[in-house]
Amino acid sequence: MRASVRRLCFLVGMGLVVGMPLRAHAQDTVRREWVDAGVHVPVLTKPPALEHFVAAEYPKDAEAAGKSGQVTLTVTIAPDGTVSEAKVAEPAGDGFDDAAVAAVRQFAFTPAEIDGVKAAVQIQYVYHFELKPKPPPEVIKPVAPKATLQGVLYGRGRRVTVPAATVRCGDDPDAPEARSDAKGHFTLPTTPGNCAVRVVANGFDIFRAVETLTPNETLEVKYYLTPRLGAYETVVKGDRDVKEVVKRTFSREEAEKIPGTFGDPIRVIQNLPGVARAPFGLGQLIVRGAAPNETLTFLDGVEIPILFHLGGGPSVVNAQFLDKVDFFPGGFGARYGRAIGGVVDVTTHKGAVDAFHGEAKIDVLDSSLFAEVPISKDVSLAAAGRRSYVDALLPFVLPKNPEGGTLLILPAYWDYQARIDIGHTRKTGAGIKSSTFYVMAFGSDDTLKVVATGGGRNRDLTVSVQTLFHRLKGDWTFKEGNVTSVFSPYLGYDLANGNFGTLAFRADRYNGGGREDLTLELTRWMTARAGFDLKFEHIAGKATLPVLAGLQYVEFPGAQPVTEPQTLALYPNTFDGAVFLETDLKLGPLTVTPGLRASYQRVYGQDRKAFDPRLWLRYVITPRTEVKGSVGLYSQAPASTNMAPAPLGNPHLGDEHAFQTSLGVLQKLTDSLNIDVTGFFNRRYALVANTPANVVDIPFNNGGLGRAYGLEVLLRQEVTERLFGWVAYTLNRSEIKNPGDTAYHLASFDETHILTVVGSYKLPWSFEAGVRFRYVTGRPYTPILHPYDQTNIDANNYSGVPGAAGSARYDAFNQLDLRLERDFLFKTWTLAIYLDVQNVYNQVNQEALLYDYRYRSSVQVPGVPILPDLGFRGSW
Amino acid sequence: MRSWLFLMASLLVGCVGPSDTPSKVHDLRVLGVRLEPPEIMGPSCDGGIQANFALFPAPVTLTALIADPAGKGRALTYELRACASTDDGTCSRPGESTRLAFGTDAHDGELVLTTRPALTQVGDGGFLIQSVLAEDPFKGLGGVRMPLVLHVYAGTEEVFAQKLMVFSCKLFPGQIANENPVLPGITLPDGSAWLEGTPPTFTGRGAVALKTPDLAPYEVPYLVPSIQLLPVHLQESWRLAWYADHGAFSPESTGGVNGGGAVSANVTAWTPSSSDAAGSVRYWFVVRDGRGGMSWLARSAHFAPASKP
Repeated sequence: MRASVRRLCFLVGMGLVVGMPLRAHAQDTVRREWVDAGVHVPVLTKPPALEHFVAAEYPKDAEAAGKSGQVTLTVTIAPDGTVSEAKVAEPAGDGFDDAAVAAVRQFAFTPAEIDGVKAAVQIQYVYHFELKPKPPPEVIKPVAPKATLQGVLYGRGRRVTVPAATVRCGDDPDAPEARSDAKGHFTLPTTPGNCAVRVVANGFDIFRAVETLTPNETLEVKYYLTPRLGAYETVVKGDRDVKEVVKRTFSREEAEKIPGTFGDPIRVIQNLPGVARAPFGLGQLIVRGAAPNETLTFLDGVEIPILFHLGGGPSVVNAQFLDKVDFFPGGFGARYGRAIGGVVDVTTHKGAVDAFHGEAKIDVLDSSLFAEVPISKDVSLAAAGRRSYVDALLPFVLPKNPEGGTLLILPAYWDYQARIDIGHTRKTGAGIKSSTFYVMAFGSDDTLKVVATGGGRNRDLTVSVQTLFHRLKGDWTFKEGNVTSVFSPYLGYDLANGNFGTLAFRADRYNGGGREDLTLELTRWMTARAGFDLKFEHIAGKATLPVLAGLQYVEFPGAQPVTEPQTLALYPNTFDGAVFLETDLKLGPLTVTPGLRASYQRVYGQDRKAFDPRLWLRYVITPRTEVKGSVGLYSQAPASTNMAPAPLGNPHLGDEHAFQTSLGVLQKLTDSLNIDVTGFFNRRYALVANTPANVVDIPFNNGGLGRAYGLEVLLRQEVTERLFGWVAYTLNRSEIKNPGDTAYHLASFDETHILTVVGSYKLPWSFEAGVRFRYVTGRPYTPILHPYDQTNIDANNYSGVPGAAGSARYDAFNQLDLRLERDFLFKTWTLAIYLDVQNVYNQVNQEALLYDYRYRSSVQVPGVPILPDLGFRGSW
Repeated sequence: MRSWLFLMASLLVGCVGPSDTPSKVHDLRVLGVRLEPPEIMGPSCDGGIQANFALFPAPVTLTALIADPAGKGRALTYELRACASTDDGTCSRPGESTRLAFGTDAHDGELVLTTRPALTQVGDGGFLIQSVLAEDPFKGLGGVRMPLVLHVYAGTEEVFAQKLMVFSCKLFPGQIANENPVLPGITLPDGSAWLEGTPPTFTGRGAVALKTPDLAPYEVPYLVPSIQLLPVHLQESWRLAWYADHGAFSPESTGGVNGGGAVSANVTAWTPSSSDAAGSVRYWFVVRDGRGGMSWLARSAHFAPASKP
């Protein structure tokens, strides 16, 4: 027997060591660009590769005892490729640990590059010690003719090449071996005859094959390596220090695997602390008591006019296109404005630079296609599109009219995203300017047409509604030394179009704007961020309407009269500009970030100004524990429709405001498990409220008040090889006080307890199971009492006696959702079949109340019953 | 999306909803209240509507259509009150309401009362109509609308029915006071008119189609002032509510115009319930003109569950 050493190199986690804390997270590939709140963050542009291997000495005692072992080490690689530090992460004992450390410290790597510049990185390395049978005595053989095995290594099912893999014939450690290059190519000189090919690569199962080579033959092969147990890909991610008390970030991979969300990233946010559950599974974001329209959603920094198709359908951004989603439930940075609730920032990723990749998805309601392709060395393209076919399926579930006639309900939607990146592979050195560019186009269209004619109907009905938008956005990221600039202009067009009988409206909205984010690292303890955020829009609005009862004349209850249609037209121009500044001051473990956002808006000839000071504090107690706090003002202009001239609106409305505070503590329990606890208090004021119709006042005023306070807890298991998930709990109280109210009362979306448990686990045989459980206190409502029948005889309707506002609640909501997915790996593509089952135990959850016409009794409107959804997804 | 579709489908196919519906008259109801005249109009708005108050004390006749099919002819207690605010659905706020009439001899059928609401005094002796004007957010534009509430009760059942009495003034030439609509009749499935006192027989449990003659010739144009005191030209579009003491109508109300400007035909169908036995069925058809005018027709028919062999 003799000792032999086998080595396996697993790059299972690398943290950028560029003056920031090391953090291991999951991302999909190293080609991704990490953009934090629009500011460029370092990207690993070239991973290290092992150049010089040193075999470890097999511990004599272990060898004598016939023991094997493996040692996992955390290896820090200096910018020059040498090993600056090697620590045992998972010891094996029996002398293996010291032997492995001694050997690894002599390794040499090709230098890693971050943003094209050599930099220190950290990897994990697994050193295997195995005892091998002593080979038979060497026999001098005649010199044999040579042969060559060469080829390319691919990842099975993904069309990615596999670099840095080791290829050899047989298990003999002394046999010649080859390493695949960055494009997966390898060339292995060997001897003629049978070669028991063995390929070892990071993240893949060991590949074995037998090839027969004749003398002097060069055999060309392609090998498809199977990803190791379909594990979550674990790659590099660098995090900046985050000033916000709460910034929740998750990747597409997480978004896709959460049951009940149907892979929709925006819906995933509804499972985070601070977000109330929207009724009927709709996608509204009710964040810390704020109304849905008080939380803004951005796609690559550009505001999205609508979030979901058809009001509650899938989001208008194809999930395959997103890179990550940042969610700020409050206390967000000064670069964000026009919102007094929270902010959602969806970031897309650039196209592939290695090969053509894509994904096709077929679902019950729609199909989508995503593709990304390298155009040249410096140019990549990614595009996605989706089209629904709900309109073709609905006729099968609609009731038939026995008298014939036509009943058509035709909802249809499509969306697209396309992005071209230029210059992302350009390398720069210290002191050299670097620029990258991309152009992004995205848009969506929703139409809903309802036709009900004939069939004995007393009145034909034709309704059509269309909502469309297009956006074209550019991005120029410039970096020189300690200065980073991101300039992002955009142009857009929105259309809102509708017809209802003789009623018609059409609003064309032309908009444009841009933002500049400038980051200046002045000293080691001081970083400044500044910029501007401009927005201009012109609306051409035209409507054909009847004379408006209640607004243009005093209506009488009862039968609505026939009126001559009138044409109303509005052509408002709106300018909304803001400048912002933040400065990070690092004072030892304490970071103080004061900020200011000053904005100016002009609409309908009225000027509005807002100065919103904000302050963030962050105190790092230990590397695993930090405390954060924030306080600040936030402003949001009223909806332009509310600011129309009287009698339709009130052009003198002022901005709505919020005073937001929060205090939280983040504790890392392990490298992948952490918990954060955050308390918040938000006061909203000058909220737009309705003025009861009268002849003196105009329809809206700024008399509304709101307040919300509570506690949020998030216990989160970051993505590891097989598992991710979280437990989110929110204790919340949200109250409002409208003009005329004598006291605060519960807001309609107040939910005292919100508990969400989410988890996803990779099972053997390429199965993956996900679970989501939710328990939510029922929403408050104002009960309608019935001491007697009370009828308005002119209007022919009844009314109940309203109880105290918000004094009753619907039943608590609880629901379990499950998801099971199975991947089938083929050579160049992967087929995923998934079954997503909502409400597994068929809980009858109350979503609303319907009263009978006299308010004597009521029935509960149930939520979704058990609802399975089967889908197919092919990716390559 | 799936949730949304499920909800829409549930509502469309009627999976969710209460079972009691307006057209089924099975207990104490006030189906209509007619005022004669429905509107009293002063000759001029010069000096404001207040200048016309002295002209308003003409008597008003209130007729209520009461249905009490389960009461077996019992006596009903009633009280007619007037008050200052339309928000006071029971006309019971102290100092802002007063009793106009009271009795214990109402029955299933019509209750007729005569009153002079404009002379009603409340609180410190002031006229109620002045309080109504003070409470009106539109300050009398479109008419001062005084709430009259008829309270009818017996046993554990009680109904408050609010009817608005309109006092207005003539702001534009061509403005005339409203008059109650008159329903010209009901047409039976065979096309004949359903005459009072000649009950038809409806045989079988199938739907019975009913309709009205064309009402367009009866629906008159009228003028109201806009918020800017300009004339707004409107056209009546009557709405009909269909009632029966057995079975139910679908649709339960017809006519009128919807938000898209489409006018509805007055065609409906009465369907007996599965438990209805042979016997007499009463029907009421209440028409509203949308400006305070109201009237009704009452009819009866014989119902036979199955045709004779």
